[in-house]
Amino acid sequence: MPRETAPSLNEKLFFQKALEENLRIDGRAFDQFRALELEFGDEYGVADVRLGKTRIHTHISAQVTAPLPEKPFDGLFTLTTELSPMASPAFEVSRPTPTELLLSRLLEKTIRRSQALDTESLCLLAGQKVWAVRADVHVLSHDGNLVDAASIAVIAALQHFRRPDVSVEGESVVVFGLEEREPVPLSMLHFPLCVTFSFYDLGGGAGEEEGEMRVLIDATSSEEMLRDGGCTVGMNRHGEVCQIAKLGGVPVDAVVLLNCIAVAGQKVREISDFVKGRLESDRKKRDKGGWMEELRAENDRVS
Amino acid sequence: MPLDTSSYSLALLRLDGRRWNELRRLTAQISTQASADGSSYLEMGNTKVICTVSGPSEQKAAGSDRGERDKAGVRVEISVAGFSGVERKRRGRNDKRINEMATTISSAFQTNLFTNLFPHSTITLSLHLLSSDGSVLAALLNASTLALIDAGIPMKDYICACTAGSTSSYSSNDESADPLLDLNAQEELELPFLTVATLGGSDSVSVLVMETKVQVGRLEGMLAVGVDGCKQVREVLDEVVRERGSRILEGTKL
Repeated sequence: MPRETAPSLNEKLFFQKALEENLRIDGRAFDQFRALELEFGDEYGVADVRLGKTRIHTHISAQVTAPLPEKPFDGLFTLTTELSPMASPAFEVSRPTPTELLLSRLLEKTIRRSQALDTESLCLLAGQKVWAVRADVHVLSHDGNLVDAASIAVIAALQHFRRPDVSVEGESVVVFGLEEREPVPLSMLHFPLCVTFSFYDLGGGAGEEEGEMRVLIDATSSEEMLRDGGCTVGMNRHGEVCQIAKLGGVPVDAVVLLNCIAVAGQKVREISDFVKGRLESDRKKRDKGGWMEELRAENDRVS
Repeated sequence: MPLDTSSYSLALLRLDGRRWNELRRLTAQISTQASADGSSYLEMGNTKVICTVSGPSEQKAAGSDRGERDKAGVRVEISVAGFSGVERKRRGRNDKRINEMATTISSAFQTNLFTNLFPHSTITLSLHLLSSDGSVLAALLNASTLALIDAGIPMKDYICACTAGSTSSYSSNDESADPLLDLNAQEELELPFLTVATLGGSDSVSVLVMETKVQVGRLEGMLAVGVDGCKQVREVLDEVVRERGSRILEGTKL
């Protein structure tokens, strides 16, 4: 089984020395994200996120299926993640690594369990026909911080996606093609994003209380390999925490963690604004001649 | 929602009659399995867990999934008994939730144990969940701590875990919401909660897992109550270990 090449002793020491002097290898501030780039495809629901050298492609698709028998009024929403050998030589086909497990679990908890997508709105005929929305997350290049990048990609793609319009008469459902009727966006309840923190204990192991802690945001893959512990916080811009996952690793003072959550809230707001801006400019690009408003079939949400 | 905890505000008593800061009955035994290097049995309320430790033993060439050679690896296997929950459900080998718990426990102990004392070796924890009634991850962590102590593997301090929740469900934005300690399965179903594990009696948080949506302002209270609960758990675990130790000294082993 190929494994990622572990950082050499020199790299380790260099990195640690730099941290002691409050520097990062790539010169960023401790709480600074790498350059975030978000592009949408020609189709609806295709988003391509680049965070430094990490690149994630997400595709949303929808089809009509029968609902689960225990939830007849709910549509289906599935998230699948794929780490192919293309992303990093450490990944193999059909052998899930812990990285993949954590990526899919964290996305699942942040986006699906927190009910970001209103699954009840996907119901067409109770107990018979619902929309099944599927988000495929493909990691094209792995340079650390997959979870944050993937959460941005999925949330942006879900907001960008349009499903075909339908009309329900009695028992019959008619799905209109994209040419026949303007497709409708999905109903989203909130937009949770993840922010991952990496902890570095500079105490040198034996030092009990004196261990100095460094907290980095958006670690690259070499920074991730050297970290002593990590914590992923999923939040939305309204200050609701959807999940926290500090799965083991170096013990961190509770106050530091609360501080991290506050920072996460601020970062999530910044990223949400960025995504919103990109969606808006993409909408303007598509809106040739300004007919979009006229063609729209949905009703405005009254709140 | 399967049931309603809104009666809490009337008498400030929870469904099982506890107050907000009370743990469920926490009992544990140590050295329960003679054949294992270390073992423990732990009950947190109706959640029952057995843990056995084997090792440190020689690392298997093929299964060396933990990279570093100059340290011992910690492998964790969790098996959930079919009769543990209300529904008898078959779980596959790759249930992601269970695997995530296993990675969490492994990663927590990897940093807590002095693994550098056992190069080229593996410590295997095998955990069996016999009955599940909330706070599963916390019970698994506590049982692992006890079993590792029984196996005599040096560690920095106890990892003690418990859960903490908040009485306000997500929708009601009331200010009077109380934090709760040690939730059972019914409460876990409808209230936001987190699992927290700290290192001994300190405030250092080793594991913090939350899977439900909660307002950020609630979190501080929940975390404080959780960390406080961990200190109570530590007292109980310490008592178990000390009792076992004094019995060995008296010469009446077991």
